[in-house]
Amino acid sequence: MRSSRVILFTLLAAAWAALAIFPVLWMAAMTVKPEALMFARPPVWWFTPTLEHVHYVVAEGFAWSLVRSLMVAGLSTLLIVIIGTPAAYAFARFSIPRRDDLLLFVLATRLAPPVALVIPFYLIYARIGLLDTYAGLILAYLTFNLSFYVWVLWSFCRDLPPDLEEAARADGYPRIRVLLHVVLPLLRPGIIATSMLCFIFAWNEFLYAFMLGGKAVETLPVAVPKLITSQGVKWGELSVVGISALIPILAAVFVLQRHIVRGLTMGAVKG
Amino acid sequence: MLTLVVVALVPFLYTVYLSLHEIRHAQVGDWAGLANYRTLLANPRFWHSAGISLLFVAIAVPLEFGLGLTGALILNQGVRLRAIIVPALFVPTMMAPVVVAILWKIMLAGSWGLLSYNVIERFGILTGTSVLASPSLALYALVLVDVWQWTPFMMLAFFAGLQSLPLTPYRAAAVDGASDLQAFRRLTLPLMAPLMAVIGLLRLIDAFKVFDTIFLLTGGGPGTATESTSLFVYKTVFDFWDLGPASATAVVIWIMFFAFANGFYQIARRRLGAF
Repeated sequence: MRSSRVILFTLLAAAWAALAIFPVLWMAAMTVKPEALMFARPPVWWFTPTLEHVHYVVAEGFAWSLVRSLMVAGLSTLLIVIIGTPAAYAFARFSIPRRDDLLLFVLATRLAPPVALVIPFYLIYARIGLLDTYAGLILAYLTFNLSFYVWVLWSFCRDLPPDLEEAARADGYPRIRVLLHVVLPLLRPGIIATSMLCFIFAWNEFLYAFMLGGKAVETLPVAVPKLITSQGVKWGELSVVGISALIPILAAVFVLQRHIVRGLTMGAVKG
Repeated sequence: MLTLVVVALVPFLYTVYLSLHEIRHAQVGDWAGLANYRTLLANPRFWHSAGISLLFVAIAVPLEFGLGLTGALILNQGVRLRAIIVPALFVPTMMAPVVVAILWKIMLAGSWGLLSYNVIERFGILTGTSVLASPSLALYALVLVDVWQWTPFMMLAFFAGLQSLPLTPYRAAAVDGASDLQAFRRLTLPLMAPLMAVIGLLRLIDAFKVFDTIFLLTGGGPGTATESTSLFVYKTVFDFWDLGPASATAVVIWIMFFAFANGFYQIARRRLGAF
């Protein structure tokens, strides 16, 4: 009785997961589907795979967009870890005047709609010549990612028992050494999880990259419309690009799992 | 902190400044007072877009909430193979909006799309073109995409909440002979309430500001059938270069979001003891 109940619910949950993942698998099949079968009615499920779409994408230099995406997401995440880690720690440990107001400001920055933020960025960048530069895009990504990082890492910092730090301080270690040798190792899982989420957000980001980037700093999401040509939409090629944008995400999802809920609810739900 | 002030506060103040001035050809002109706000409030297209956003949120969020809660309760019945099921459920949530758009363009493409052919045409809902090109159905197609993308996340967030509930009250209830339904109504719901409020509010905020998927799937069209507030702002700025009213819209949206964020913060802090 009990085990049949478990099997029933497992099947239900598995079906649900299949529903969530099915469109992805269908797109994955499109990457190797011959052009001629793509528009068949009814849609074709079985076919001999072809590599023509992959070849086209490689020949068009989409690999460079991939590299640019990696650079922008990687560098902005690195910058965020360097700036954000001490900030999050300070919020958790020191008495900061008007701390609650500052925290609310951090949260509001994260929740603000990007479309309202991109306007002033665009105008300011146009004036000081930061449009279509790596520095400009990386700086713009700090708006949502830095606040996200500080906020979520702050929730990790509060989970650390202060006793260890106090013991080290009592033994006469200066604050900086306590930070480097006690706090950082304890925070490492939190830092890794949060920064991976930041990386994903930057990697996925479209609007800023679309408006503030351009030719020189063309990230992968922005390169996609190039496949919508005057001869029609290159669906197979689009799928190849889509899948290659998805692969790092799939890897990250497997590693992160429990931390995703915590991150996406801004630390309100401990996964 | 200073960095955050620079990257977030400066653009905000600049927008407020812009919204109070007359702007022609991207040049800041004379002080205009509240004229931009008046123009905005007199623009029927703004109200139309606010209606679209509200409709989108009003359908999508309750659906995601209800389905998510149901799914979480299913997951909570000692489901096996969670090591595979859980990551699979996370995939839509973590996916780039561009990928989501490609995916659903393929699924919903007119005539040859898998869903178009097998479901939409079969049930005679629409033939010949994609639902995304139909003025009456495009918005519901976008709701479908949003529900597909965010229900699994709601499900996993609620599941995380269910997993962290204390066991003692349930044991006591079982001893007292309470049924499953009673335990759910009297224990699970009240215990989960603050958490549900926080997750629901967060989803509300995110659903309200959704831009990328709509922009990429329909571009606000056909016509203005799916033009949400975010798309309205985008178009006033980058298509019409109407910066004054656009900045005013941005400020209005910002103030609204600040209120939302404050609500989230207060509930999460006071009721959930999260922060």
